[in-house]
Amino acid sequence: MAHFEMLTGTDLTPILAQRMYYEQVDLVLWFRWGLYLFAGFFGVFPLIVAYVVLAERKIAARFQDRIGPNRVGPFGLLQPFADFIKLIIKESIVPKGANSFVHILAPILTLISAFLVLAVIPFGIGLAPVDLPSGLLYMVSVSSIAALSIFLAGWSSRNKYSLLGAMRGVAQLVSYEIPQVMSVLPVILWSGSLSLVSIVQTQQYDQGWFLFSPPGILGFFLLLISSIAEVNRAPFDLPEAESEIIAGFHTEYSGMRFGLFFLGEYLNVFAICCLSTTLFLGGGSLPLQGYFAGESHHMLAAPFDASRQSTIKLNAHHEFPENPSTGFKIHITNSAGDKEAFQVSHRVGNELVLMANRPVEFKADTNSRVSAAARPSYAAPWHLSNLLMIPVFFAKVFFLIFVMFWIRATLPRVRVDRLMSFAWKTMVPLAIANIFVATIWFEIVIRPAGGFTSRVIAWIVTGILTAGVVAIVFRINRNSYKANDPERRPTLISRSGDSLLAATTQGL
Amino acid sequence: MIQALFIALSAFGLFMALGTVFARNLVHAALYLVAFFFVVACQFVLLEAEFMAAIQVLIYIGAVAVLLMFGIMLTRNITGDETTIVTGQWRLLGIGVAGAVMIVLFLGINGFKPWTDLGVRPEFPVTAESTTPRGQAILAMTPTVGREMMTRYVVPFELAGLLLTAALVGAVVLAQYDRTDETSAAAESPQP
Repeated sequence: MAHFEMLTGTDLTPILAQRMYYEQVDLVLWFRWGLYLFAGFFGVFPLIVAYVVLAERKIAARFQDRIGPNRVGPFGLLQPFADFIKLIIKESIVPKGANSFVHILAPILTLISAFLVLAVIPFGIGLAPVDLPSGLLYMVSVSSIAALSIFLAGWSSRNKYSLLGAMRGVAQLVSYEIPQVMSVLPVILWSGSLSLVSIVQTQQYDQGWFLFSPPGILGFFLLLISSIAEVNRAPFDLPEAESEIIAGFHTEYSGMRFGLFFLGEYLNVFAICCLSTTLFLGGGSLPLQGYFAGESHHMLAAPFDASRQSTIKLNAHHEFPENPSTGFKIHITNSAGDKEAFQVSHRVGNELVLMANRPVEFKADTNSRVSAAARPSYAAPWHLSNLLMIPVFFAKVFFLIFVMFWIRATLPRVRVDRLMSFAWKTMVPLAIANIFVATIWFEIVIRPAGGFTSRVIAWIVTGILTAGVVAIVFRINRNSYKANDPERRPTLISRSGDSLLAATTQGL
Repeated sequence: MIQALFIALSAFGLFMALGTVFARNLVHAALYLVAFFFVVACQFVLLEAEFMAAIQVLIYIGAVAVLLMFGIMLTRNITGDETTIVTGQWRLLGIGVAGAVMIVLFLGINGFKPWTDLGVRPEFPVTAESTTPRGQAILAMTPTVGREMMTRYVVPFELAGLLLTAALVGAVVLAQYDRTDETSAAAESPQP
């Protein structure tokens, strides 16, 4: 079994991570997962969060013409530890009349959802803790637990401000989850896989960054904006708007329980920056690496008819990965010069089993040329390429985190109704339209495995369409704002001045 | 070990289900329900159906439970202190419906002949020898579900979509901003 060999070090296949099933889970793997849990989740990630917090304080200070923390240690580098000690020796108070079990459960749930998201991120080759075939779906589903934890925090505190914050938070999270997921759909379409490892591999060895296409640019910005809203950061930090509702859902939290919320928030920031990097910025790959990745060529061993067969016989032995992920593609050029891309599901001996069962009118004789995006030689020391990939990955992640600090230091908080109409009237239509534009890009560039000219054509076509879609959506929204009587805008305060929520909070 | 895990999980899940039924506080009942949904997701993982597990968490915890909480928050006494015990005829009706569901599930799980003849399970494209057939079935699960949804089950799929659209339109109509009524202003009720 190749998997056991890989684990014991005899066959170091440079696939980002190998998929595992119960039969293949052995002691070595348990040890590896244990190592991930203890080193990563109790050491590295909290440390990253600590210094991201310090960086935010420093950067925000520079934006406001201050110096920032510089007293504890050299350049204030020990400040996070001072904060941590302060948080941990503070008394944790559960308000009288609050539901103590739920009150304690809520911050833990926040932290769980933030940590679980990080479990499928491929940080480098062999550095994805688990590579689930439906990893992206897993990420979306575990991050949706955050809404529940915010609700529980607000509800269990028995405090009106907490409850108001929770209501805002849950409404915001539920609304922005839709454009967030929809903006990711083009990536799934283009890479043909839900596995984050396959998505990175497609960008690294085949397509180049998905950002470099008009629908990709739009999708990336939609993802970034809705992700900022998902983690409740400025300008979307209404659930904890201190000028309106004290501290929102965590008003009643003190000491380390508040610290857990804090940790969860910054872990989420880190996680969504990792997600954006993985999906649109090609993980640890360099900007144009995908375009210059060479091709390896092979010959067909038997004629092939795509409308009938789903397996291809090849005269290739070691050039293809032992366990091709679902993102692995091959291109066949037949003697007539037609070119077609196929997704590979798995490999049986010398045959590649294709993923798609869609009937494609494509025939190839034995003289046809099969080419695949060339990956680094499978005997190459892939640990060395990690030396480049991991810094590149983290450089992208920390740049995105910096962008979020930048936005936070620049933009004021949006109004509640503006927040909601932005999600429903701007983000959702744009995300839906983007899926259609993305299919055009798919048909022009990715399915026929087009070269430079088809990329140029696709840039022109989808560029015009994307710009048009953005212009139309914003124009309609502006008109609807104009048509609205400013007095008629929906607010949470009725015209007579009573809070609409007063009726529902009477029980407190 | 898997067996022991299964038994432990199932026992926990049963306790959570009982808690859902017997909890007097509405929010507590909802929390028990969330725990139960999570146990179901764990069972899917034990069956190596991780796609289903992710969908279970996404839909039942991420959407249904949150919507439930929304319902409690916006309509009821917010602390959820009031009891939810049904009495009299409703209890009888509930027992009847629960019994019917149990009979259907019992027959379905034990392979009731007239029903099993109705449909054929979709075939998984299992041809590999490089990894185990189970592993291949897991790999092919997402494409298989997608393909079946768009071919065999396209009519039920579209019907469900129509139903959801109808519900969405209904919700919008109910929550629409009424210009004559000064107090009903929050027209932007979020609908996932």
